[in-house]
Amino acid sequence: MRNTYLQFLQLVTGIFIAVLLGIHMVIMHLDAILGFFGVDVTEATSWESMIERAGQGVWAGLYIALLAFVLYHALNGLRGIILELAPSATTERIVTWVIIAFGIIAFIGGTYVPLALLAGQELS
Amino acid sequence: MKQIQPRQNYLGPGGWVWAGKYKLERYLYLLHRITGLGILLFLLIHLVMTTIFRIQGQDVWEATIALLHNPWFKIGEYLVAAAFVYHALNGLRLILQELGFAMGRPTPPIYPYKDSLRKKRPWTIALVAVIVILALVFFYDFIAGGW
Repeated sequence: MRNTYLQFLQLVTGIFIAVLLGIHMVIMHLDAILGFFGVDVTEATSWESMIERAGQGVWAGLYIALLAFVLYHALNGLRGIILELAPSATTERIVTWVIIAFGIIAFIGGTYVPLALLAGQELS
Repeated sequence: MKQIQPRQNYLGPGGWVWAGKYKLERYLYLLHRITGLGILLFLLIHLVMTTIFRIQGQDVWEATIALLHNPWFKIGEYLVAAAFVYHALNGLRLILQELGFAMGRPTPPIYPYKDSLRKKRPWTIALVAVIVILALVFFYDFIAGGW
């Protein structure tokens, strides 16, 4: 039963990721086409543009939400593939805990930086 | 989940590719898995870049971005964008299917049979066409972006 809920969360996070990552991809990669429609997002990866977005709470919130959804979706997907290749109770225990630990560490690391930038911490 | 008997007919990853005649949907599934693993690999690199490198300030950030303008990274970046387009749209198809939408009305099993996959196949092919078009749009932008 537990795996049913995990799989259902996989669908739900998938939908959120499609929307949020869709926005991210369009801004990062479709600058020439957006420019054609009069939206100027050139050099989204420049330091100034990145810091400007990082200083806005909405962007920080969206990125942190995206990080949470993506980490769940990616790691749960990987868990499914590994358990399909090597199904056993031991593998399941090890893989599940390693993935949970990795996910928490990645989430803390990935949340700390946007929060620090949002707080306007002086960077060298 | 104790394994009582070894799985006699288990083909391993080779079976993902071929275990007899596979239809279109099976290869879409295989590609879904490959793109998923590829995006996961990119995610790890991307997280390192946007955390460990970004927190070190403007100089390190700009050096990293300059490194990523290398043509090989550009090709990789395009592949990630295309993989995302594929994984997202095929994933939406799988969600609709798993939740039972767009399955069509049930029909009596009278020859010639029309199973649910065959009924949906025109939509599947249309979706593949949309994915190809979007991948080309991203490709255009990568070229136009003056890489």
